[in-house]
Amino acid sequence: MKNQFLSFLTFFLLFIATSIQAQIKSKVWYDGNARVMYDRNVLAGSNLDQTDTVSSRSTGQGFSKIDLGIHFTPVKDIEINSSIRLQNDFGGMWGNRNTVALRSLSATGVIKNKIRFSVGDLFLNQSKYTLYNYSQELAKYEPSVFNFYREYINYENYYIKNYWRLQGIQTNFSYNMYKFIEQIDLDIFSSRVRGSQWLGDPELLMIGGTTFIRLNKNFKIGSHYINTFEVMSSSNTNVAYYNPVITAKIIYSDKIYEKYPYSLIFEGGLSQRGWRGDEFAPETNGSFFSSSFKSKIKSSNVSLSFRYVDTDFRSIGSQSRRIHYSLTPTSYPFYNNNFTQRKISLLDIVSDPNIYNQKLSTSLMNYNPMYSATMPYGDATPNRIGAEINIEDINVTYFLKLNLDAKYFTEISGQGTREKRDFLNGVIYSKLFLNKIFDLNRPIIIETSFNSENVKRAGSAIEKISLNNHLLSGGVSIGIIENLNLICGAKMFSSKGNEYLIERNKYDEIIDYDKVTYANEEKIVIAGLQYYFEKDTYITLQFNHFNVLDVDNVKDEFSMKRLVFMFNMNL
Amino acid sequence: MKKNKIFLFACLFVVFSCEKTDIEGPFLNDLYGDLNILEDLKIVGDSVNFENGESLHFTASFSKIVDWKIRIQGLNSGSIKIISGKSNVINSINSSWDGSSTELPFFGSENCSVELSFETHDTLIESELYIFTPKNYVNENTVLITDFEAGFNPNFTGFFQAGCTKSLTIGSSGEGTKYLQQFGTCDWDWLIGYIDYYSNFWLNQNILVNDPSQVYFNIMIKGDSTISEVDGVPNSLFKLEFYEDENNDGYYDANTEDRYDFEFDVNWKGWKMVSINYNDVENLVAATNNAGDGIRNPNKIHNVRTLLLANPNSGFAKADVDFLIWSIGGPILN
Repeated sequence: MKNQFLSFLTFFLLFIATSIQAQIKSKVWYDGNARVMYDRNVLAGSNLDQTDTVSSRSTGQGFSKIDLGIHFTPVKDIEINSSIRLQNDFGGMWGNRNTVALRSLSATGVIKNKIRFSVGDLFLNQSKYTLYNYSQELAKYEPSVFNFYREYINYENYYIKNYWRLQGIQTNFSYNMYKFIEQIDLDIFSSRVRGSQWLGDPELLMIGGTTFIRLNKNFKIGSHYINTFEVMSSSNTNVAYYNPVITAKIIYSDKIYEKYPYSLIFEGGLSQRGWRGDEFAPETNGSFFSSSFKSKIKSSNVSLSFRYVDTDFRSIGSQSRRIHYSLTPTSYPFYNNNFTQRKISLLDIVSDPNIYNQKLSTSLMNYNPMYSATMPYGDATPNRIGAEINIEDINVTYFLKLNLDAKYFTEISGQGTREKRDFLNGVIYSKLFLNKIFDLNRPIIIETSFNSENVKRAGSAIEKISLNNHLLSGGVSIGIIENLNLICGAKMFSSKGNEYLIERNKYDEIIDYDKVTYANEEKIVIAGLQYYFEKDTYITLQFNHFNVLDVDNVKDEFSMKRLVFMFNMNL
Repeated sequence: MKKNKIFLFACLFVVFSCEKTDIEGPFLNDLYGDLNILEDLKIVGDSVNFENGESLHFTASFSKIVDWKIRIQGLNSGSIKIISGKSNVINSINSSWDGSSTELPFFGSENCSVELSFETHDTLIESELYIFTPKNYVNENTVLITDFEAGFNPNFTGFFQAGCTKSLTIGSSGEGTKYLQQFGTCDWDWLIGYIDYYSNFWLNQNILVNDPSQVYFNIMIKGDSTISEVDGVPNSLFKLEFYEDENNDGYYDANTEDRYDFEFDVNWKGWKMVSINYNDVENLVAATNNAGDGIRNPNKIHNVRTLLLANPNSGFAKADVDFLIWSIGGPILN
């Protein structure tokens, strides 16, 4: 029934589009994405005949999807955008396993050439502390041979840069002035984060606004405001969540020696979070402050920043995480003779779009300190004070490029003790163009990155924490013939030490700790061929090998091989 | 520019002057630390005279917040008092004892053993104390119906089936030395027997307050936890009937006055104090034609009838009683 409706909607939209085109000579154009993917997973490992007699030895799945984006302008200054997904899972026929779904629908326009507006599906982003969709863990400076997985995950989950996909209405305009103030920019939106649920939580709405005032060519001040709240009257409840956040920002831009441009950015803000009508719910008031210096020196982008985000700072729009650790992984969710539930590991973070979250969460989502301990909620991670340095695009020589990132943070409040955790995180990335050294026509590129994270807490034997996480990634791309590359890559992850996993109640208050010891080693190896028709149109065939081992529990080792084929085309 | 700097530093001052707690969440030491006794268990106010309203308390301190339990047992009476808490210190606020019991019978003038134990820890600390005079439960906030110490008042009339027993017994009582045994087997009727405790023969003639939420009926019942072989439920069924004399004529008239009933299984062995808030006595036996006022009026209670019932097919039933008393403001064993 749903499919019939969507089919009808597709043809209706096409009909309207062509009808309008006929009547008022509107423009219609198309874009979208086509993807065909097939993978076959094979359970691997030694002694499988003894350790796992219940899991199937191999599983396979595939699909072809076309997301057809239709754009048309029924009248001047208005554009209707829709994206309709046609999907056919391999193995179905005559309508079975075929789906037609509306992937997005929106309209944008301009009123009197001054005020822009968008309605329907919106991609929204504000400050890093109000509304910001931070990248998944361990994604920074990932070798590009893993890009096809990353692009697939991000596309399927509507992750466009650091925007959250929401539904509602947005408008913005700029106004130029002549005295004291040069320009005012205003952007406001209203969206429905969660609809009403039968006998469930009330509707969750979000309103927000950004304003920037440019005082002169150097000086700009602005503010972000966002308020997420439940509408009590939309449900049979007497409790309603609220979380307003307001920030103020000052940006000063100039040039050093009239040569190197730089910006000084100061931002501070306040948050409030509570549940109206719930006498047991605490109202938390938090704050943050950040200052950063950004410059471009020669080809390099340099950034130095300091951040203070207090323990009670809560912002639903910037603290919702991409990875949902309570979801079940797609490949072999259960394995071995004990029917062990497989925990989300690096292989799923790298390749499984189904463990990702598309919704804002009203409470702090769980994270795994193995993969992300320093900044699990991005820059808006509460209970952190520290500094970060980031230098990108360092051209060491004409054939070697480097990126560097280092963070040192500490907790503001100890968790369960007066001792505080110290976090040290460093990432180094290099890109070596061998073809430039040997003056070859075909590209031979070697990328390596090393991500090291260290968590320490002093104190008594109970309080002490020492956790070391390392991810070494490498990728090689060799051009065999024009547009055809041989690619291979590897990720070697290790985590050793101890930590306390935090258990929070529904009000985000810490109620318990789970003492955990890590001795994990994970490996991902990929090798294959990739042929590019154009930049975003490629076909790839790869062999992957994944291995997840807990050294303290070797009987639950998980090993899997995968043959994956993907065709991707951005229309 | 100077103003901008001042504004900036003002912002920084506001942010960093906010006072935040040093610690988030429960202490790790309380969850994972070892338990060490920093100060040993002490009894403050030993040889206590509970009858005069005195109390005693305990002191101790530990290295972590822990669930602790003090168990006091009368070496003669066998009465037990449990005081428990979750803290890293035991003091007068969380361990004060007024001589009351958790498990019947009541304490007497006797030596008691004291044990301090901890949940999830094997540590056990033992001590002893002496009760000079036991607690007197009868005071201005109570109305004692009977404790049988002066014998069974013949004005408390009733009926027991042929072959069933109602007998005043000495020794092993819930309070004092005497109690009333009630038991028997009746294979032709649910009723084993009943007794009417008329208010004009209650030992205390204080008038109950007319706020049913404040009035508690307390009765000690000694069960034998016999389970019926017929229907698998406890054999002994106990019923309380409260008769209100709405017009204060000294007589209960079923046509014009209300009665409230409360029924429960006697599914335990030994003595137990049953306390019922008069507001919770839900079963109204309304006067004929609803002529009663349908309002619980504890100050108009004319008679309390206790009935021992049993399924005639199930056999033996027993529910001895002692120390029938009204209390105001809370159950007698609070």
